[in-house]
Amino acid sequence: MRALVIDDSRVMRRIVAGNLHSLGFQTLEAADGQQALDLLTAGEHADLACIDWNMPVMDGLTFVTKVRANPDLRGITLMMVTTESEQSQIVRALAAGAHEYLIKPFTPEAIREKLEWLGLVPVGENV
Amino acid sequence: MTVVDVEAVFEIAEAVFAAMIDGDHGLLVVRDDQAPVDDPVVAWVDICGPYPGRTAVTTSTATASALVRALLDVGADAGVTDDDRTDAFGEIANVVGGNIKALLPEQGSLGLPRVATAVPPTVDPLVLTLRLAWRGEPLDISVWLTQHEGGAR
Repeated sequence: MRALVIDDSRVMRRIVAGNLHSLGFQTLEAADGQQALDLLTAGEHADLACIDWNMPVMDGLTFVTKVRANPDLRGITLMMVTTESEQSQIVRALAAGAHEYLIKPFTPEAIREKLEWLGLVPVGENV
Repeated sequence: MTVVDVEAVFEIAEAVFAAMIDGDHGLLVVRDDQAPVDDPVVAWVDICGPYPGRTAVTTSTATASALVRALLDVGADAGVTDDDRTDAFGEIANVVGGNIKALLPEQGSLGLPRVATAVPPTVDPLVLTLRLAWRGEPLDISVWLTQHEGGAR
């Protein structure tokens, strides 16, 4: 499995990627939605994208909308990983095409549970 | 109407530090003294919308570096660059501020985190400053908020 971690914070990308490595993922990283979209349209493969909401250049919600509008990228599971914790924001993201939503701060267990729910990690996998 | 108070902010800060930094509760506590932070570095995020405001986290440069090491789970002798400190400390303010924004009764948007040695002036009134100690070192959280109904700017 390969995951694309999209966050303008380098430290947060490192933390999310570290958690994903523990679950057996290979990772690649992008600092904003446009950079991530460029990677994917250039042919980089990802099974999962973990997406921050508030980023410069292109925010996470716009990225989700653009991925969902591109038939070539339909196989990617999209999980928002963000501080935007209001119900209305969660609804917006899911309506735009995100599959799951993880609110910062999160624990390694929370990531694992979300990925188990999405079927990307076997249930009971140790972090 | 008070929608953000010290209890709620402490609960958020405690949750953020336990999940992101310490792995457990108890290392972030309320401190008694009101002394200003020495050699400060401050990270803040602005909230725009019906309840505009700002959340800022202030601590010493040395403590900010220690926070980065804890966040990255590296040893006490690991080097911390200015970029690392700006990035990581800004993200802490971002997560604290984002969760404070969620307390507000109406939807707003969150700006990108900024980091400097002092927080710039804001037109919004200061609602609270929570004086904390993380691993014994001073760390303040301040919230500015215009708490009026329907006053989007």
